[in-house]
Formats: sequence, structure tokens, C-alpha cells
Amino acid sequence: MSDDLKTSLQTDAGQKGPTAPTWIFVLTLLGLFGAGFYFDRHSGWFDSQVYAPYQSSDELEAYQPKSGAAALFAEGKKQYGMICAACHGDDGLGKPGQAPPLAGSEWVNAASFKRVEEIPQLGLTGSVHVSGQDWNLSMAPMGVALSDSDLAAVLTYIRGSWGNKASPVSDTDIKAMRAAVAGHAPIGGESGLNAIKE
Amino acid sequence: MKTGFRVFLGAFIALGLSWCGFVLGPVLQLGTQGQTNVLNSSEIYPNQRPGNATLGLQVYRAYGCAACHTTQVGQDGVLCDVVLTSAGANPTAVNNLISSLKLTGLSKDEADAVSGRISAAGGKTETHIIPVGADISRHWGLRHSVAEDFLWDNPVQLGTIRVGPDLANEGLRHDESWELAHLYNPRSNVQNSIMPSYKSLFITGNTPSEDAKNLVAYLLSLRADVSLHDAPFTTAAAPAAAPQNAASQK
Repeated sequence: MSDDLKTSLQTDAGQKGPTAPTWIFVLTLLGLFGAGFYFDRHSGWFDSQVYAPYQSSDELEAYQPKSGAAALFAEGKKQYGMICAACHGDDGLGKPGQAPPLAGSEWVNAASFKRVEEIPQLGLTGSVHVSGQDWNLSMAPMGVALSDSDLAAVLTYIRGSWGNKASPVSDTDIKAMRAAVAGHAPIGGESGLNAIKE
Repeated sequence: MKTGFRVFLGAFIALGLSWCGFVLGPVLQLGTQGQTNVLNSSEIYPNQRPGNATLGLQVYRAYGCAACHTTQVGQDGVLCDVVLTSAGANPTAVNNLISSLKLTGLSKDEADAVSGRISAAGGKTETHIIPVGADISRHWGLRHSVAEDFLWDNPVQLGTIRVGPDLANEGLRHDESWELAHLYNPRSNVQNSIMPSYKSLFITGNTPSEDAKNLVAYLLSLRADVSLHDAPFTTAAAPAAAPQNAASQK
């Protein structure tokens, strides 16, 4: 190192360098503040489900279809999960020795829901042939405590899920059915089901 | 030596930060993405593409289709339509109310207010969610593309330049014979198309090679037509009259 450079370094070290003007700091802070606002508004908080034009998962939630047939279906899924899924399974495939399958069942998929809608209301005792197998079990009237619209939702969900493509059930149908079967005994197996007028 | 360490540290931090931004961040955000349920249905989305379509993705890649075609659809926003499903006990009052209200092209808050007023009058309504945007109005998609749409693709070929149309929903628009004819001679079914002819994909005359068939299978598997939690929209129920309306519009 040359002597010149040495002395210049030494003198520099002893002096205060030029200071940055204050406005740079103010502008930087303002910029960061603005960036914070922008981030808050547009990041969706890195939620993998939130895309523009939605700004947050709350906003996205508000746009989920919640009325009409879609709402009935969603409510049915909820009720099914709380009540039916314990025996019939989340996948509707049933459980050996506990409950027959609902997916692909000829009773669930019947063009008319007049027979299947009475099962949760009255219960079912005795032998039933479902999807090529005999099931001799007993089901309590699990749906009797549900409101008309909730029972309609469950039946709509069952008839429209896991590949089932049967018509939906409305709360007025359930109301009419409940009025007609009030006080009836549990359905007696397959013969009892077949006795219900479609 | 001191300088060497500083250079190393500086380079390490600079590269490390960009690695965090371009690799770690996206993996943390989307790396756990899996199949999801289609909205209000027990169906799973997306299903694995058929085997020949998976091979076709590699043809799409090899021929550089992504240089001129994108496979991603954008969306500017969402509008809501309020649809009356049942007039209830007092249809006259509901009808009078409805004739005084704007029912289509509403924001979510407006739609909630309108359906609140109608239900107070005794009617029942449904709110339909309609995606809007330039790509949607070009009929390139029903909703914006989301990460799930590309779950099975390796590599994902989003594309950035639209010399040709977006292909995110090509499978909804055309069939196999159309695609093959278009690859053989683009002008045969799209007037003034500037796409080059891909006759090399055909063996003799117009017999398609395996590559051509796989590519077409891939193009036909491009269909993002279901409503998802992260891209909700109201699937238009197909009433009996709909096809006639569509025909008269053409």
C-alpha cells in the first residue's frame, strides 16, 4: 500500500463521513407503510386457496354458493356427517354388520323417494336386500328429531352423492310424509318397504 | 482474505434470499396442494389425466406449444344474480317488489340486500355467482385457473404469450377430429389462423402418429369446468330451452 493511500485512509477513519439527508429516511418509511397496506390488501396472507380477485379467505367464504339447491346439499352433507356417517360411512359404502351401503343402493336411487324417505323417520327392522346382499339389521328412527328441511337436505345429499343421481327431496315432501305416517311402527324389512306406495 | 469472506457472504445472502422467494415460498404456499372436492358434490377434482394425455403433455412441451399458447385463464371479479325460486304466500307483493329491483350484475353486498328484501316479502331466492373478466367473455373459461388445475402436470406449461388463444379449456370447445384437422392444416377450420401446420405429426397423408394422438388427448383433457372452493361459480343448470337459445345466438 502506498503511503498516500495509507494517510488518506487514516484521515478518513478519523472523520465523520457525509450523512444521508433526512428526507430519504422519511420517504423510505412512507414507502414501507404503503407497501404494508398493499400487502395487507393483496397477499391473501399467503393462503393457498385465495386468488385474485379475492382478497382474503373471509371474502372467498362469502362467495361460496349458499342458497337454493346448493345450500340444501351442503346442509345435508353436514347433517349426514353428524348422524348417518357413523354407520353408513362418509363414503356411503356402509359397514359390514352395521349398515348397508347407500352408494349405488337400489332403494336410495329409486325414481320415487317415497320409500327411502320413511326409513329415517320410522326406522327399519328386518331383512333387506341391498346391492346384491341381504342385510338383517335394525335401524332406529334417526331422523325423527331433524327439522323438515334438515331431513330433506340429508335425503337430497344421499340421493345425489357417491355416484347416486336421484332427484332431490324438498321440505314440503317431508312435511307431507310426516303427516301421513305419524304414529306408524318401524318399517318391517323389505316387505314393509315394498308395501309403501311409491 | 477478509474481502473474500465478505464476497462469499454477500453472494450467499443474495442467492439465499432469491431461493427463499422463488422456491421456498411457493412450496410452502402450494406444495401441500392435493385433490379437493368439487363444490356441493362428493366428486374429487382433479382426476389424473389419462395415460395418453400425460404423454401428450410431453409432446406439447417438445413442440413448444407454450411459446404461443397459454393454459391459464384470469378473472377480474365476480358478479351476483339473484334468482327467485319460489314466490311464497304472497306472489303479488313479491312480483311488485322484484319489478322495482335490479336483480342481475350485483355486488355480493347488493345481492345480499336484495335477497334479504325479497325473503322479508316471503319469497325464496338463490344467488348465482358469475365470474367476469376479459378471458371469461372471450369464452376461454368458466372461472379463473387455480393451482389444482395443474396438479398432475410435470412440468406445468402455463405459457405467458398469447399468439394463439388460451387452451385452458380446449377440451370443452372442440373434439378429436377438429383438433387433428387443425394440427394438420390450421386454416382448414380456423380462417386466417397464423398457426404453423404440424404435418410432421402425421405419418403418410393424414394418418396421425402416436404423438399427434397423444397431443390431442392432452388438449381434450384440458377442461377446468367445475366449481371449487377457491374458484366458486354457479354452474348453469341446463334447462331444456337452453340449446335452442344457444343455437339462435349463433
